[in-house]
Amino acid sequence: MVQITINGKQIEAPEGTTVLRAAQMAGIHIPTLCDHKELVPYGGCRLCIVDVEKWRVPMASCTLPVSNGMVVNTETEAIKKSREFILSMLFSERNHFCPFCQVSGGDCELQNAAYHEEMTYWPIQPGWNKFAVDTTHPYFILDNNRCILCRRCVRACGELVGNFTLAAAERGAASMIVADTDVPLGESTCIKCGTCVQVCPTGALIDRTSAYQGPNAEFTEIKSVCAGCSVGCATKLIIRNNRIVRIEGDWDGAINHGLLCEHGRYDPMNESRTRITTPQMRKNGKLEPVSWEEALGAVADKLRPLAGGKNGVAAIASTRLPVETLAMFKELFVGNFKSELVTSTEEGMPTAAVTSFAEKNGAFEGKLDVLRTADTVLCIGANINRNHMVAGFMFKRNLPKGTRLINIDPEISELDYLANSTLKNKRGSDMALIKGLQAIIVKEGLGRSPLDIPDADGLIKKAIGATGVSREELTQAAQTLARSISPVILFGKGITAQRDEKLVEELYRLAVLVGAVDSERNGLLSIKGEANSLAATLLGLDEAFNLNGQQAVYVAIGDDYASKSLVERVSKAPYLAVQASYESSLTEKADVVLPVTIWSEQDGHYLNLDGHMQSTQKAITAPENVRDNMAVLSEVAMRMNMTMKSDWKTSVLERKSSVALN
Amino acid sequence: MTKPKIASDWMCGCAGCHMSLLDMDERILKVLELVDLRATPITDLKEPDESGVDVGILEGGINNTASEEVAHKMRKRAKILVALGDCAVFGGVPAMRNFCGVEAALKQAYVDADSNEPGSQIPNDPELATMTKTRALHEVVPVDYNVPGCPPDADVIFYVLAELAQGRKPELKNELLHWH
Repeated sequence: MVQITINGKQIEAPEGTTVLRAAQMAGIHIPTLCDHKELVPYGGCRLCIVDVEKWRVPMASCTLPVSNGMVVNTETEAIKKSREFILSMLFSERNHFCPFCQVSGGDCELQNAAYHEEMTYWPIQPGWNKFAVDTTHPYFILDNNRCILCRRCVRACGELVGNFTLAAAERGAASMIVADTDVPLGESTCIKCGTCVQVCPTGALIDRTSAYQGPNAEFTEIKSVCAGCSVGCATKLIIRNNRIVRIEGDWDGAINHGLLCEHGRYDPMNESRTRITTPQMRKNGKLEPVSWEEALGAVADKLRPLAGGKNGVAAIASTRLPVETLAMFKELFVGNFKSELVTSTEEGMPTAAVTSFAEKNGAFEGKLDVLRTADTVLCIGANINRNHMVAGFMFKRNLPKGTRLINIDPEISELDYLANSTLKNKRGSDMALIKGLQAIIVKEGLGRSPLDIPDADGLIKKAIGATGVSREELTQAAQTLARSISPVILFGKGITAQRDEKLVEELYRLAVLVGAVDSERNGLLSIKGEANSLAATLLGLDEAFNLNGQQAVYVAIGDDYASKSLVERVSKAPYLAVQASYESSLTEKADVVLPVTIWSEQDGHYLNLDGHMQSTQKAITAPENVRDNMAVLSEVAMRMNMTMKSDWKTSVLERKSSVALN
Repeated sequence: MTKPKIASDWMCGCAGCHMSLLDMDERILKVLELVDLRATPITDLKEPDESGVDVGILEGGINNTASEEVAHKMRKRAKILVALGDCAVFGGVPAMRNFCGVEAALKQAYVDADSNEPGSQIPNDPELATMTKTRALHEVVPVDYNVPGCPPDADVIFYVLAELAQGRKPELKNELLHWH
């Protein structure tokens, strides 16, 4: 620990702490602009300058490490004057027209900094130069007139997201924030995660949907969890008048630390499907609006005689639904109806093989955090650049620092361009490939733990033959992986959808062999699928949905999209009941449609891919006549005289999980 | 004790700051108890007393030779000069024409805009003031107090007037300091 004095206050701070952080920890406010707690200190704006006794010049406190006996003053007349001068320079550099800026009046860090210095005017007037406004991006606008070149966006794009789209071109006063080689944002390599907008301290980067809807003080903020995929990013829903105006990543989020991807931040804001706002029933071949009483009565009358019977009811629920809804769904159709075919929309593709391996061997997967410190990531059958993007950010940001990426995928994927090794193996040759990698590592003596492979040469030959990957490529990938200190193996649907538990087993053996899994750390992860993929498989809702003469099908699709293949299969059923939020080709085929709440209109829990159970609360009120997913299921049960009693928290623990739950 | 004399005028603004002054409702009577209100653009007397006033208030930026004259006259005759509102303090919305220049702005307004009759011309009567770059008041004459806001809240104007009338220095900070 180091002893320092700030504004006369004795402070103890760990060695290596910056003066700024030490002051913040002690509750002393130092004005900043380019600083952001998730970004590496940059020292760009100089607003955080402080006076250090016996030092010749003021120092930027954000990049100044504490040292023993340091005496710091943040509010001397000279420092205050300098801060005002720095702000004057910033205001004169571009064109800051507060009266019509979206963030003016509380949400602009630049304006707030000027208020802090009690500035009533700009001592240096702007130069009236025109700066470009880039409106080519679908989700946000870059107005260079309001940019202070703090480079938070540039740093967030690289340091956090690992996309490195934004950069600063030119130098000094000519500096400009540019995308790629100075192309319009809309035509750049931007992956539309919006992190740059979330960190911008001024109105230079503004969100198209929420801009000019009012200051943040007029909004309410509700913490939530993204239901977009199994990563489970913590979000903040910014709400006004029962409407979400913006979604932000929650900087306090244990998994995502403030980051979101396009699917989490913007997709829900650009929902284009038509909402169903009244129950509907097929009458004379056409869906007609009916009362809840009539619709539920009809479903109950149809299902009642089919309960317990062979070829009675088949039921399928979306893995986007909250855990409690899925548990209730299971209890209703498995426990009460005794249906033989009850599953979820993902049909266990991302999870069944993983869970069946775990049932025999216990939890074997690691936590997402391991990706942050990986020096090699082997991605197999997981296009993490398109789905589960935030998990990808966790290591993509480290690629320029030397983290290696090996991508194994028969399909062309964006990851190929980032990877050090790209293995395009033939479809269905994953087993041969994994065994080939094991064999090379064992043969070359690179393994970190013993693995008995009797015929290494044979396996290598087989791997080359089966995969179509050359010996050199295979060897290079094997060596890279085996020579790493903290490797991680990440596998996705490309592996799990083959429903082969043996593949998971071989990946596990490979992980142990290269030290990805040892007593210290666990670097083997499956990426899974939708928000509640893991919960669905733990509830046993993970078998293939093969209809076999069932008299009726009940689909709880919620606000999810129904796949073409699901619609095809269920449309052949003699009777189809659907509980859904949006109109789709599925609801068109239904005999009864029950309108239900969407993700933001219901309470619920989500179990993410690495076992974090997270809760969300109802943030907005659903349209009149739309009912909660759980409520609809219990209404159906009530009309059957079926009692629902089990506790979802226990039901989800019935099977062994592939990853420790917390 | 004689009441301090106050005069105001407007230049390149929208009159909104004076509207905000009126927006202080019955408190204006309190102000009148404290001050001797002389010339304002919304009362009969239009020019500050030649013998001088204690406080001069100017709304709007300086955009032509006429407003330059107004600014200089007020500065000469007022002991304390207050810039009222964003246009007087920063240049404000009218200063946006500085991006294109006076010529282009006049051409757009009097010739190119669709609302003009065909053949319209930029007015060139020699009696008209000559347009200049739009400037903040402090760029033309020394200013004692800048009161930003678009417009400044009635509360802020009341505070500033009440402080000046009682011989104190108004300090704009915290909830009183808003640029818009």
